[in-house]
Amino acid sequence: MKILTTVKKVVDVELNMHVKDGALVEDGMQYVTNAWDENAVETASQLKENNGAETTLVSIGGGDNTDIIRRCYAMGIENGIHVDDPALEKADSSIYAKVLQKVYEAGDYDLVITGKQAQDTDSGQTGIILAEYLGLPCVSNVIALEVIDDQHIKVSRSGDTGTEIVELTLPAVISVDVSINEPRLPQMRGIMMAKKKKITEMDLAALGTSADEVGADAPKSEIIEFMASQSRQAGQKFEGDAAEITAKVVDLLANEAKVI
Amino acid sequence: MSLLLIIALVVFGRTMYTRIRLLMALEPADRFDQITRRLKSVAVFALGQKRLVGRKKERLSGVMHAFIFWGFCVLLIRSLNIYGEAFVRGFHLPLLGDHSLLGYLYVFLKDIVEGIVLLMVILALYRRAVIKPKRLHNSWEAYLVLGLIGVLMISDLLVDGARYNLISLYNNPGHLDFFNNPRFGSEFNWTPISVLAGKLISPLGAGANRVIMTMMFWLHIITQLTFLNILPLGKHFHVITALPNVFFKSLDYPHEKTKLLDLEDESVWEDESLGINHIHQLNWKQGLDLYTCTECGRCKEVCPTYTTDKPLNLFDFNMQLKEELLENTDNLIKRAALANTLPSDGDAENTEKIKAEMAGLNSQKQLVGDVIAEDTLWACTTCRACEEVCPVTIEHVPRIVGMRQGQTLMAGVYPDELNVALKGLERNGNPWGIGYDKRADWAEGLGVKMMADDADVDYLLWVGCAGSFDDRAKKVSTSLVKILQKAEVDFAILGVEEKCTGDFARRVGNEMMYQMMAQENIETLNSYQVKKIITACPHCLNTLKHEYPQMGGNYEVVHHTEFIYQLVKTGKITLNSSLGGALTYHDPCYLGRYNAVYDQPRSILQSISKNGLTELDRHGPESFCCGAGGGRMWMEETIGKRINEERAGEIVSKQVANVAVGCPFCLTMIEDGMKELGKEEDIKTQDIAELVAQNMA
Repeated sequence: MKILTTVKKVVDVELNMHVKDGALVEDGMQYVTNAWDENAVETASQLKENNGAETTLVSIGGGDNTDIIRRCYAMGIENGIHVDDPALEKADSSIYAKVLQKVYEAGDYDLVITGKQAQDTDSGQTGIILAEYLGLPCVSNVIALEVIDDQHIKVSRSGDTGTEIVELTLPAVISVDVSINEPRLPQMRGIMMAKKKKITEMDLAALGTSADEVGADAPKSEIIEFMASQSRQAGQKFEGDAAEITAKVVDLLANEAKVI
Repeated sequence: MSLLLIIALVVFGRTMYTRIRLLMALEPADRFDQITRRLKSVAVFALGQKRLVGRKKERLSGVMHAFIFWGFCVLLIRSLNIYGEAFVRGFHLPLLGDHSLLGYLYVFLKDIVEGIVLLMVILALYRRAVIKPKRLHNSWEAYLVLGLIGVLMISDLLVDGARYNLISLYNNPGHLDFFNNPRFGSEFNWTPISVLAGKLISPLGAGANRVIMTMMFWLHIITQLTFLNILPLGKHFHVITALPNVFFKSLDYPHEKTKLLDLEDESVWEDESLGINHIHQLNWKQGLDLYTCTECGRCKEVCPTYTTDKPLNLFDFNMQLKEELLENTDNLIKRAALANTLPSDGDAENTEKIKAEMAGLNSQKQLVGDVIAEDTLWACTTCRACEEVCPVTIEHVPRIVGMRQGQTLMAGVYPDELNVALKGLERNGNPWGIGYDKRADWAEGLGVKMMADDADVDYLLWVGCAGSFDDRAKKVSTSLVKILQKAEVDFAILGVEEKCTGDFARRVGNEMMYQMMAQENIETLNSYQVKKIITACPHCLNTLKHEYPQMGGNYEVVHHTEFIYQLVKTGKITLNSSLGGALTYHDPCYLGRYNAVYDQPRSILQSISKNGLTELDRHGPESFCCGAGGGRMWMEETIGKRINEERAGEIVSKQVANVAVGCPFCLTMIEDGMKELGKEEDIKTQDIAELVAQNMA
C-alpha cells in the first residue's frame, strides 16, 4: 500500500495574532506543523509499521519547510516532496487540491491521508476537493482506521448523528480528526538520522504543470483583510458588605448595562 | 602456613584482578583530581562513618557498624602481627613491641576492641533476627559474615586467654613469648578481656589449653582467609571497595553531572551509543558503586517512590545491574580490548569490522526492559534523598538519568505524557506550550524593566516558566518583584526572550531538547553580558548555576531566598514578625540537597513568624520530595500512593497553619496535596517570597 500524506506549515496559534493595516504582523510569529496533519502522519506511520505501507508526504508552499518535513521523517515517513512556487503565494484550497492532484498522479498511491483542516485557515476543504478532482471516494473526519486487505479499508467517522462506519475501496482520500491517534513526538535519533535524508524539492514546472493549469493565476477565493478578534474585557469584582454590593450590582445592571 | 597463605592470597588476588579489570573495561570517569579533598572525604565518610553515626534515626545500627569498622582497622594490625608470628617467633610490627608504651597501649586497645566488636556482632545478630528492621534483606550472607566476625573475635580472645593460662597458671611450658617489660608489667595486666576468656577455659587443664591455643590460632587464620575470599563475592565487597568509592566520590556537585553529549557527531546516532542502554556503557565509577552497594536499604527507606509503593527499589536496582555487570565480565573485558585496537587513522573498513565485533560482545540484554523495568526507571524524581543517606556515597541518580537518555535518545521509548510538555518546549520554550509571546504578561503594569530595553542592570531576574505561565506561581513572581522594588534592587527580566532552562528535559533524558534550550538561553544571556541572576525556581537555579557552564554560560546565580536573606541582613528590607499560626517549611530538593541552601529560608521564616518554625519530621538534607522533580511534574502518577499527598499528610500531622516552600513545583504539589486532603482552607501553602511580601515593613 502506498500512502500520500499532506502536511502544511502553519502559524503557531498558541501565539497572539497581531494585525496591522489589514495584514498579519509577521514579526515574532512562528510556524509549526498543522496539528491535524500530525495525526495524518501518525496514521501513515502506523500503517507503515503495522501493514508495511510505503509512506510519502507532500507539503506545499511555505518557503523553507525543511524542519517540518524532517520532523515527519523522524516520525516515520519515508519520502518527502516539497512543492513551492512563487505562483502559489495566494493559493486557496482549490489550488492546493490541484497541486496535490498532480503529485498524486505522478506517484502510484493507494491512499491519501490529509488532516481534516489546517489550523491557520480552518477551511477543511482541500482533501475533499482533491477527491473530487481525482474522482476518488472520500471520507472526512475519520476517527479510526482499519485495513481489511490490499484494496479495502474500513474507517469510522464522526458524523452528525454519531459514529459512522464506512468501507472504502482503494484508492481513496480520507481526512482525519485529532481523535484518531496521539501523534508521537519525533524520535531524537530519527531527527538526527533524517538530516541525511533527501527532500524532493519541486516547483510547478518540475511537477509538470503551470500556474495557469492549477488555477493560481486566478484564485477562486482570496483573503482581503485580517481583523484582530475582540478580546474579552476583564470583569468587575465586588467585595464587601452583601447588601451594599447587591444594590451596586443592581444599579450597574440597570443603568450601565441596561439589561434590567 | 605458607601454603595456606599462598592459596588464599592467589585466589583472592585472582578475584580482585578480574574485578578491577572489569572496572577498567567500563567507560572513563575523571576522578583523580583534588586528592586532598578526596582524602578529607575519606576521613569524614569512611573513617568518621559520618552517615552511619551521624543520622539520629539510625544511631544504634550506625554506632554498631562504626565500632565494627574501627575494630577492623585496629585488628588489621593484630593480623599482621599474627602472620608474622607464624614465621618469626615473637614477631611484632615496629614500635609495637614490649619496649615501648605504644606496644602495650596497642595490646590494650586490641583487647578492648575485640570485646566491643564481639558485643556489636551479638547486637547485630539480635537486630537482624529479632528486631528485623524493614529496610534490611535478611540474607544468609549477612549471618555468615556476622558469624565469621564472631568466630574471629572469639578465636583470637581464646588464643590469648589460653596463652595467659599457660603462662601464668602452668609455668609457661612451651616458653611462650609475652610482653613483660618491668616498666609496664605483664602484658596480661593490659588485656582484661583475654584474661576473662582465659578464666573460662582454665579449668580444662594445661594440655587442653595448649590444644585450644593452637586450634584457635588456626581457626582464626583459616576464618580470616576464608573471610577475605568471601568478601568480593557479595555485599561485603564494600569492606574493600567502600574506601576507594568514597575517595572517588563527586566533589564539586553532589553527584556526577549529566555528561554533555556530542549530538552533532553522526556516528553516535548510528552506533546507538548515547546514554546507557547496555551495561558496558556504565563508567568505572558507576561500576565501583555497584560493587560497593552494601544492601543496607537506607536508600529505599527515604525514597519518595519506594515509600509510596512504586516499583523503584534502589536496593534491587543496584543488585540487578551488578548481576548484569558480573555476568558480562569476560565479554566486557574482551570488548574493551577490542576498543583499544580501533584505528585512529580513519581506516573506515577496519573500523567497521572492529565495531561489528564489539557489538557482538554487547550484552544481549537491554538494560531497560530486560534488566530494569520501564516503570522502575521512570519513577525516580531525582530528589537525591537516596544519595544523601548512602553511607558509601553511591551516586544513583546519574545512572538513572543516563538510562533515561538511552531510552529517549536511542530507543525513543518514554512515558507518552511527556510528549505534550516536550512539544511545548520545542515550540514555545515552556512545558505548558503557552505562546512564548505571553511570557512577560504577568509583569504588565508592575514597572519591571526588560533586558531588551535596558540591559545595564545589576541583576537579571530569571522568572522561569512556572513563574511566567502558571497562575499560582505568577503570584510568587509578583511578590518577588514587590520585594526587589522595595529594596530598590536594580534588576530586569528577559521577558519573551527567556526560555525554559531545559532542566526537566535533561532529567527525562532528552539531552537534545535540553541543549537546544540551553544554547538559546546562553546566547541571550551572554549577549546582554549577564553576570548575576536571581531566580525563584530551584530547578532553574541548579541548571543555570551548575549545568550552563558546560556550554559556556557562567553566571553567579542565587535563589531568591538567599537574596532576600541578604536584603534583610543588610537592612534593605525589614521584616515584621506578624505571621500568626504555626509555620513549617518544606525543603525543595533542588535547593536543599542539590545546592545546600537550608539556613537562609529558615532564617527568613523565623523572622516573620510569631511562633517560630516547626520542623517537619523529614527536613533539611533528609527532606521528602514533593513528587515533581526529574520531569515527574509532567508525567502521570498512576502507581501507588501519591507522593504529594504523602508529604501533605506529614505537614497536616504537624498541625500547622502555614507551610512555606521555595519552589514553584513544590508549591503546586503541596497545595494540590492539601486540596486532596481537604486541608487547603486550614493550611495555607505559600512561597517564601509571598510571605515576605506580606510581612515586610
